Amino acid sequence: MMKQISTLVFGLTLTSLCHAQETFPRNGAYDERKGQYAFTNATIVVDSKTTISNGTMLIENGTIREVSKQVKIPAGAVVVDLKGKYIYPSLIDLDSDYGMPEVKREPRATGRQTPQLESNKKGAFGWNQAIQPENDASKTFVIDNKKGADLRKIGFGTVLTHPHDGIVRGNGAVVTLTDESANKAILNEKASAHFSFSKGTSSQTYPSSGMGSVALLRQNYYDADWYAKGGKNQETNISLEAFNQIKTLPSFFETNDKYSLLRADKIGDEFGTQYIIKGGGDEYQRLEEIKGTKATLILPLNFPSAYDVTDPWDAEMITINQLKHWEMAPANASMLAKGGVNFTFTAADLKNKADFWDKIRTAIEFGLPKEKALEALTTTPAKLIKAEGQIGSLKAGMLANFLITSDELFNKENVIYENWIQGKKFIIAPINAPDFRGNYTFSINKESTGKLEISGTADKPEYQIILKDTVKVKPKVILANDLLTISYQPEKKSPGTVRLTGWISGKNLSGEGILPDGKAAIWTATLAENYKAIAKKDTASAKLKETGPIVYPFVGFGNEQLPKSETVFVKNATVWTNEKDGILQNADVIIQNGKIAKVGKGLSAPSGARTVDGTGKHLTNGIIDEHSHIALFAINEGSQSSTAEVRMSDVINPDDVNIYRQLAGGVTTSHLLHGSANAIGGQSALIKLKWGATQSDMLIPEAKTIKFALGENVKQSNWGDVARVRFPQTRMGVEQVYFDHFIRAKEYAKGWKEYNAAGKKTGLEVPRRDLELEALAEILDSKRFITCHSYVQSEINMLMHVADSLNFKINTFTHILEGYKMADKMKDRNIGGSTFADWWAYKMEVKEAIPYNAALMYHEGITVAINSDDAEMARRLNQEAAKTVTFGGVPEEEAWKMVTLNPAKLLHVDHRMGSIKAGKDADLVLWNAHPLSVYARPEFTMIEGTVYFDRKEDMTKQEKMTLERERLIQKMLNEKAEGKPTQKPQGSQPKMWHCEDIIGVHTEHEEGK
Amino acid sequence: MKINNYIKQLASLSSLAVMFCLTFSVQAQNPAPAKAQAKPTVLTGGTIHLGNGQVIENGVIAFDKGLITHVGAAGSNTSNANAEVIDIKGKHVFPGIISMNTTVGIQEIASVRATLDYAEVGDINPHVRSLVAYNTDSEVIPTLRNAGILLSQAVPQGGIVSGSSSVFYSDGWNWEDAVLKKDDGIWINWPPFLATSFNYEDFSTSVKRNEKRQETIDLFRTTFADAKGYYETGKPATVNMRLEAMKDLFNGKANLYIRAEYAKDIIESVKFAQEFGLKKIVIVGGDQANKITGFLKEHNIPVVLNAAHRLPNGTDENVYLPYEMPGILHKAGVKVAITYAEEWWRTRNIAYLAGTSSGFSDVTPEQALQFITKNPAEIMGIDQYVGTLEKGKHASFVVTSGDMLDMRGNAVQMAFIKGGKVNLDDKQKRLYEKYKEKYGQR
Repeated sequence: MMKQISTLVFGLTLTSLCHAQETFPRNGAYDERKGQYAFTNATIVVDSKTTISNGTMLIENGTIREVSKQVKIPAGAVVVDLKGKYIYPSLIDLDSDYGMPEVKREPRATGRQTPQLESNKKGAFGWNQAIQPENDASKTFVIDNKKGADLRKIGFGTVLTHPHDGIVRGNGAVVTLTDESANKAILNEKASAHFSFSKGTSSQTYPSSGMGSVALLRQNYYDADWYAKGGKNQETNISLEAFNQIKTLPSFFETNDKYSLLRADKIGDEFGTQYIIKGGGDEYQRLEEIKGTKATLILPLNFPSAYDVTDPWDAEMITINQLKHWEMAPANASMLAKGGVNFTFTAADLKNKADFWDKIRTAIEFGLPKEKALEALTTTPAKLIKAEGQIGSLKAGMLANFLITSDELFNKENVIYENWIQGKKFIIAPINAPDFRGNYTFSINKESTGKLEISGTADKPEYQIILKDTVKVKPKVILANDLLTISYQPEKKSPGTVRLTGWISGKNLSGEGILPDGKAAIWTATLAENYKAIAKKDTASAKLKETGPIVYPFVGFGNEQLPKSETVFVKNATVWTNEKDGILQNADVIIQNGKIAKVGKGLSAPSGARTVDGTGKHLTNGIIDEHSHIALFAINEGSQSSTAEVRMSDVINPDDVNIYRQLAGGVTTSHLLHGSANAIGGQSALIKLKWGATQSDMLIPEAKTIKFALGENVKQSNWGDVARVRFPQTRMGVEQVYFDHFIRAKEYAKGWKEYNAAGKKTGLEVPRRDLELEALAEILDSKRFITCHSYVQSEINMLMHVADSLNFKINTFTHILEGYKMADKMKDRNIGGSTFADWWAYKMEVKEAIPYNAALMYHEGITVAINSDDAEMARRLNQEAAKTVTFGGVPEEEAWKMVTLNPAKLLHVDHRMGSIKAGKDADLVLWNAHPLSVYARPEFTMIEGTVYFDRKEDMTKQEKMTLERERLIQKMLNEKAEGKPTQKPQGSQPKMWHCEDIIGVHTEHEEGK
Repeated sequence: MKINNYIKQLASLSSLAVMFCLTFSVQAQNPAPAKAQAKPTVLTGGTIHLGNGQVIENGVIAFDKGLITHVGAAGSNTSNANAEVIDIKGKHVFPGIISMNTTVGIQEIASVRATLDYAEVGDINPHVRSLVAYNTDSEVIPTLRNAGILLSQAVPQGGIVSGSSSVFYSDGWNWEDAVLKKDDGIWINWPPFLATSFNYEDFSTSVKRNEKRQETIDLFRTTFADAKGYYETGKPATVNMRLEAMKDLFNGKANLYIRAEYAKDIIESVKFAQEFGLKKIVIVGGDQANKITGFLKEHNIPVVLNAAHRLPNGTDENVYLPYEMPGILHKAGVKVAITYAEEWWRTRNIAYLAGTSSGFSDVTPEQALQFITKNPAEIMGIDQYVGTLEKGKHASFVVTSGDMLDMRGNAVQMAFIKGGKVNLDDKQKRLYEKYKEKYGQR
């Protein structure tokens, strides 16, 4: 008999009793119940704007029937009196993987891997494993009781779930957190489309970089369009088919920082989709641009905890950016709210879900309005998934998804008693738990032992035993259904625990137990005094937390105020004009409206101008670095022998301190190149080093260039034995890559030309837009210019011949270490050479590199530039240019042009940069000495009339950083003293890129360019 | 048949290749080393930078049998009527640059493993010596003396105890010929206080405390304790090559070069070495040496710095700190040498490191010059021969068109090693001449 009872008593593990699906067979008798409940006398928060006090909510069959002050309660309804309690709509999380199969990542091996060039997925899917629009969350969803309970505990009722894997991740499903069945839980099986920049578990080599992910996603949109318009007659592609189905759904993009957020939005703009974007929590650092996206954001709540900064030297590894972000991350939501940005929160990133309320309340302490917080957790997400008719507020006809709480939701003392999902009750904490707070006299075996004090809240009582009036002990107490367990150690020195068990009898407590010596005990605790609340300081409503200033960019040396363009009068300087006038002694330059207004002698200062005494100093153009990899999040796509479709402009990092460092070396413009891992690399980006400005303010869009590469990197000579798969492996193969791609590009251009000429009426099929061939066609059309990484003469000659035969032009050979052997042939074709001053001996193909290279090319009449390919060398390119004087006798004025005017010419921007002439951009450097001297250093570096680096200001910045640092460190030390959690100091190091670097792969020789 | 033909073809090709090599080799080889000084020589009229801070305008320097016999103002050298007199008016004389902590001669082409002889397998290798691997025929060496570098210290890398270094002249038929000081010191790698780790999941690099370093420090302690015991035993019955090699540390002949960057590493490693009674301790790297100048001065520890042409270590660090470092240490009374840290061909730019350090800190060019001449000589214990231009020292110096520390003036026009006039030809100059000829330039 006992056994039979026990199944029912011990575990309700069977499928639930009520609300089984209509179509499903039952095991046993039907158990449908009406689920009719009336919650009375409650404060009902319908939504952030409407609150009904002393109201009633009637639910039936999982749906809200009525919510108002006056509700006629039908007979048979279970009435729950919620006097003094609150009802809230339950919360919604839009970035969940609840119930999804675990995304298993193979641990990535270190170093280079054998490339997997094609997808290994079975079935008629698309070519790339990272594009998985066919993934349907509703088909893999299972109820996960453990995760469900964790989420219910903190108040969630509904989530949008999707598999977090891949760049296109498929469609998400709206599911409630019921514990019953998938069929019941899923409210909308195709609610959303999901995207990211991470290729996730895809083992395919492409894409291997941020810009590769962008290109792949863009191409996917174009392919899907082509497929819909007729491509499906040519091939069956389940992925494109699926993509066309989901792309009109609300689209969610997961990003991890402010710049990837902006990047995602830009893709949305291109395809007419406003993504809802999951951010990284650092949006406040670029608030204006984030506002500009008009995107609704999903914000994480994993604010960093303080670092343990006790040891001053250890603390130094933490950057000021980390310190400041620690301080400001909790204020992110508040600042976004003030800026009018719409957002929701997700608990997805919280390692410990129980921290959820602490984080939300912290955000409120930092100024987030409570109504905003409530909207962000209820109505806003509901609207985003078009479920506002079902969830997110408490209105008749909506799902009975709600919370019963002790207090206002955001109060620190609030307790969530119950979380009702689709009309089913989940108890989180006992409602109407007996309040037996107070002071009791405590006796064991009728001997007075001391006092038992119970304080705290009724729901979370705190216990203290005072033995013999002096010794305070914190006992461990478990209270459930009026049963009590108390244990404590009466004496700290001699171990021994008193163990008591008991129950509530009226106003008193009593029971039995065992003392440390094994003797049995009978105990009582008699109420002596009722609990009196001690008025505590309300910390939650304390004044808003103060934070330091936001700096642009949000890193060390950032600007509190963005520098502004000025009218400047530089007087009596030695001016290197790079024009016919040559080097002018005792000359003046007027800078106005970002341009050079006048150059000459004896000029007078315009009104309002700041005068700079240039006596004994040299004024030159800012240095233009023709070959740079600074300020980028990635360098090489490199996974295919041509990646002409990728754009470096997608991965510009305005926070890179190397921008500031280059300014400190007189550089104003950098040509950001793709790496040299493949024959046809990506589209380059030309930027001005406007420290603190936005990506788009830095970019010079009219400079359209692309990186090509030859030699050892392209044929993967130094990548170990695993890299013997990808074509080409020899210089012979490299030639064929070019022939193959350019011939295809020619055909591609022809196809479009014919289509455009014929007009749409003829019924010609729309050609597929191919981003790779499009970039190559631009080269054929002389609209995009090639910078080709090159070393030895054979390959240089080869590419010139390929270009001749296919009728396109090589603009610049970069590195070009054997350019001196080919100078006549380059000159014939008017190809420029951008080289290092004196690098050699780091690999076989640079064996015959000589420091006289630049001079030999120069004397042959080639436009020669000296570049860096290196963040370090870039800040002393003046010294590198000087070497061409030593090695080969280039005149000093011409040597200087190699880092200013000549690169401007090679980049086709010499109409506005590269010389000091009225009308040109005021990108200028004032040097304390002859600029080709090893002793020269910039006094200031200006771009378009705005000073971005100033030697004195640099020192002021350093002093301010020291102060700000110390302020934050003291604040962290206080947190530690208050017992808040800290993490071990851990700094992050920016990656310094070179040509050969593939993301995630260390190069063996750092100097290996 | 086909295969046979192929082999024949190969054979004929290879004999051709041999022939070609032979004819080509005349040009491709480094020039012959300088002949020993045959007669007394006097250079007059130049600006002489002694390397000790002193400059003699319109000076005279005389040398005979490989040694300097006189340095002074013009007209002060009256002796020796047979001397060959060379007028160097308008030119400058500098002591030969001494380039410490290099892989010159033991590394040729970085990506070709067969040319790399600087890192032996294993952790504790005090017994391996750069001396015997040093290749005087390296094509890199002639390019160095063209930049004024007359001495290089070739240093083994890798492991925990890397091996022992030697100091070589940039000229000589073989290592035996070129070496100035054999086995001048043993190099160890102190485990860094902070460890950098790369995350292959999100491609980020993070820096945190190195949790594994104690193991290495314990190993050092054991090794040095055993080595000291071995040294004190005198003639042990069983010869241990490793411990044998470390004897010179305890008898005071050899330097202990400690590669350490972080301030805590430096203090810890110096105290470690002192605990074993070592006196000749040199810190190499020393990126954070500026924080502990007081400690370094008090314990008289010289610092051999990493290349000044490097980026700051942290994003928040003073942009110019690497440039300012040598000056900061010098001003604080710490003996400092500038190097190109474990590089080879790049070391030819070492004079510019000194120049940069002067341009970006308070030291004068003459003080900066000492960072690559006098100071390294003193640190390596070869200052009785080289480092400054003084009577009795080796006549090893260069004549340049101007300021050697500045790109604008450092063209080396003559170089003397122990009085012998060095042939300044190198492969790069030959290629330059070859292509000037092709294009008919000048």
